[in-house]
Amino acid sequence: MSRLSKPSVPSYVFLVAWVWVQGGARPSGAQPSSENVEWPHYNADLKGTRYSPLDQINASNFNDLEVAWRLKTDNLGPHPEFKLEGTPLMVKGVLYTTAGTRRSVVALDAKTGELIWAHSVREGKRAAIAPRQLSGRGLSYWTDGKGDDRVLYVTTGYRLVALDARTGAMIGSFGEEGMVDLKVGVVKGAEQPIDLETGEIGIHSTPIVVGNVALIGSAMREGATVSTHNNTKGLVRAFDTRSGKLLWTFHTIPRPGEFGGETWENDSWSINGNVGVWTQFSVDEELGLVYLPVETPTSDYYGGHRPGDNLFAESLVCVDLKTGRRRWHFQLVHHPIWNFDNSSAPILADIQVDGRAIKAVALPSKQAWLYVFDRVSGQPVWPIEERPVPQSDVPGEKTSPTQPHPTKPPPYARNFLSVPDDLIDFTPELRAQAVENLKRYKWAPTPFNPAILGHVDGLLGAVTGGTATNWPGGAYDPETHVVYAPAGNTPGERSLTAPPDGFSDIRYVSGVGGRPFRQVWGPGDCCAADSGRRTRDDLPQPAAPPGGSPPAASPPRPPAGGEGAGMTIQGLPIVKPPYGILSAIHLDRGEILWQVPHGDTPDNVRNHPALKGLDIPKTGQAGTSGVGLMVTKTLVVMGDPQITTTKDHPRGAMLRAYDKATGEEVGAVWMPAPQSGSPMTYMVEGKQYIVVAVSGGNYSGEYIAFSLPRAGR
Amino acid sequence: MKKNGAPRASAIGLALVMTASIAAIGGPQQGLTETRSVWDGVYTEEQATRGGALYARECSSCHGEDLMGADEATPLAGALFLSNWDGLTVGDLFERVRVSMPQGDPGKLDRQQTADVLAYVLHFNQFPAGDSELARRTEFLKEIRFQATRPGSE
Repeated sequence: MSRLSKPSVPSYVFLVAWVWVQGGARPSGAQPSSENVEWPHYNADLKGTRYSPLDQINASNFNDLEVAWRLKTDNLGPHPEFKLEGTPLMVKGVLYTTAGTRRSVVALDAKTGELIWAHSVREGKRAAIAPRQLSGRGLSYWTDGKGDDRVLYVTTGYRLVALDARTGAMIGSFGEEGMVDLKVGVVKGAEQPIDLETGEIGIHSTPIVVGNVALIGSAMREGATVSTHNNTKGLVRAFDTRSGKLLWTFHTIPRPGEFGGETWENDSWSINGNVGVWTQFSVDEELGLVYLPVETPTSDYYGGHRPGDNLFAESLVCVDLKTGRRRWHFQLVHHPIWNFDNSSAPILADIQVDGRAIKAVALPSKQAWLYVFDRVSGQPVWPIEERPVPQSDVPGEKTSPTQPHPTKPPPYARNFLSVPDDLIDFTPELRAQAVENLKRYKWAPTPFNPAILGHVDGLLGAVTGGTATNWPGGAYDPETHVVYAPAGNTPGERSLTAPPDGFSDIRYVSGVGGRPFRQVWGPGDCCAADSGRRTRDDLPQPAAPPGGSPPAASPPRPPAGGEGAGMTIQGLPIVKPPYGILSAIHLDRGEILWQVPHGDTPDNVRNHPALKGLDIPKTGQAGTSGVGLMVTKTLVVMGDPQITTTKDHPRGAMLRAYDKATGEEVGAVWMPAPQSGSPMTYMVEGKQYIVVAVSGGNYSGEYIAFSLPRAGR
Repeated sequence: MKKNGAPRASAIGLALVMTASIAAIGGPQQGLTETRSVWDGVYTEEQATRGGALYARECSSCHGEDLMGADEATPLAGALFLSNWDGLTVGDLFERVRVSMPQGDPGKLDRQQTADVLAYVLHFNQFPAGDSELARRTEFLKEIRFQATRPGSE
């Protein structure tokens, strides 16, 4: 099944229009002009900065922005997508991105949004059962500088595809007929190859193209309620951008005899999987070093089948760009059981600390710490201390006695629930109810509070940190040495329970005893183009829902107190606002410069009957953990993660601009749906544009380009 | 605080609203009552019962018996759900479900079944039942406003 044939994997290219006017409008790289400023990588550059020096759009005119063009993505797949997460690239006047439930690739005229070409691959069941579906985060661009320009992306079915950037045609000399089957060479267990059709692996992030090398990560199914701990093993590989030839492989789970192999005690490396690198990573071209933010082993919340620290899970790993060999690593969480998988691209920053120049790497995190290292040596810039943490009492679990605690910068969001100081206090009644509800949870003043076996008749779970920064990561201003990080600011809770008979070989999975078992779906499980071909037989299913019956068919029940019984109080977060924040962190000083709530106060808070007559401050939105930003010469730009209807704007979400020096909001532009993909900016023929992906709720995926009105306005 | 007052982009939103209103007024549904909302008894108990059985089979494994959702499955009851759809129409909600659910096999439910499931969702959220069933045509459902709070209760 390794050989591809055209009938089984048809690809489609629509060449809509590609007529350059000679010597005229061609926005060519051969005519470098200050009027064209590109965004050539997902994160603007390989250093993970999301920074652009543009300043035509600034505090004085942000409110004047108008929609320049828009691309509705509904038809790029058999049904619309409601989770469009891409950040386009702009190279030589052309915008490239992925879109739609098929994960099509489109090339658009960057001035007008006109479709130049579109490409897609129909992969059938392979895509339908993929663990990372939908349109993904985008793609990459490669050029040899002599006219061979290519777009590289990974299909939902985990194939690396190379396209001619001008026409969208597949590059016949790349891999096999333009594609490399990335499932080849992927293993589970003790080096068993995975099935090339149904084997579990995929990726949302883009290839990282550096020189003539394309680096590809790996992602597996979300690990809260999975059928086995012995799933696919993570890896990072480098491929030649010309030929598609494999250059090197880095195993994120070391094998016996390899560095770190002993951290999988009792040979547990051979029966465990995951440990992918699912988010973007970063490269220092000069140093020839790659920085890998590695994620969680299976399963996310129970490590009883994998005693030991489990390198390189939840580590920042530096490998050599040429060989893939480990240069240094730092494990941020030992023996991970909190799903603090590294979610953000490492930020490469050249900073000055106490008069000393340091080539640093800074990593935002779900646990609200910005981890900062010397990126050459791997030494922490400020001490990271091993401190004792609470131990798990879940049978079979053996937690690490200590965990790393950065001493600087301070956490840029809540990473544990401070009781009672953090609890909701809009009214004494709400505070009292919060205190009462918390009695049903095991609490500890640390992000490393381990999950418990929760039960409806006793404690419901353990209070943990929430998710500060998720996949969009942060941004960095190389001129001022400031990191900008979005963060959710509400706590989480975690409980384990035995899975239903026959569901999983994992002793405990996510759930609460006495409640009906519910499978947790991950960000890539939903709504693939071919998902109609997926049957329930293709997915792990419980034999029968234990501990409860299906909802009664007759009569329908009224709300059964689902809200207010747990970590929400009458539908309100159990904590005081802000619920979502944007932070500026000075990397020379290791200090937080400013923090502001991000996002309007949600409607259900502003209009809550218990808060009538109260003056509720701007709360920000908890979903800020999942929106990304960009930095320009003067602004930080980031959209709301949630729809609101306020006296200032009709139902919608705002794309906001902050003064990057102060955090003051200096402008906002209306969008019809929440920001779902991180913004980017570019200039073509002297005009600056901002493009952002929006979707969610009733609104299917759309890229919207904003620009200023014509001069004279 | 915004320096420059209300964002100009609000005008875009208003224009969209106006366009939608004009389309509604001038469209083929002219004559239907535009002031109906989910508070006006837009489904029947019997329909909600049918929808409940469908919900149990097709939706509850992700969205939960309590309709509160989990992780990627958004809640279909409660404050967040109500505020997410407030100001839209039942037709908008119907279309979202019709084109994208159930997640493993979008389009599996026919229009009648989708309407029945929505009737169950409305009932679960304590919107009142009435004498006529929720229609299965999107155009008709777009005439029913999804309103989080009972008119006159504020």
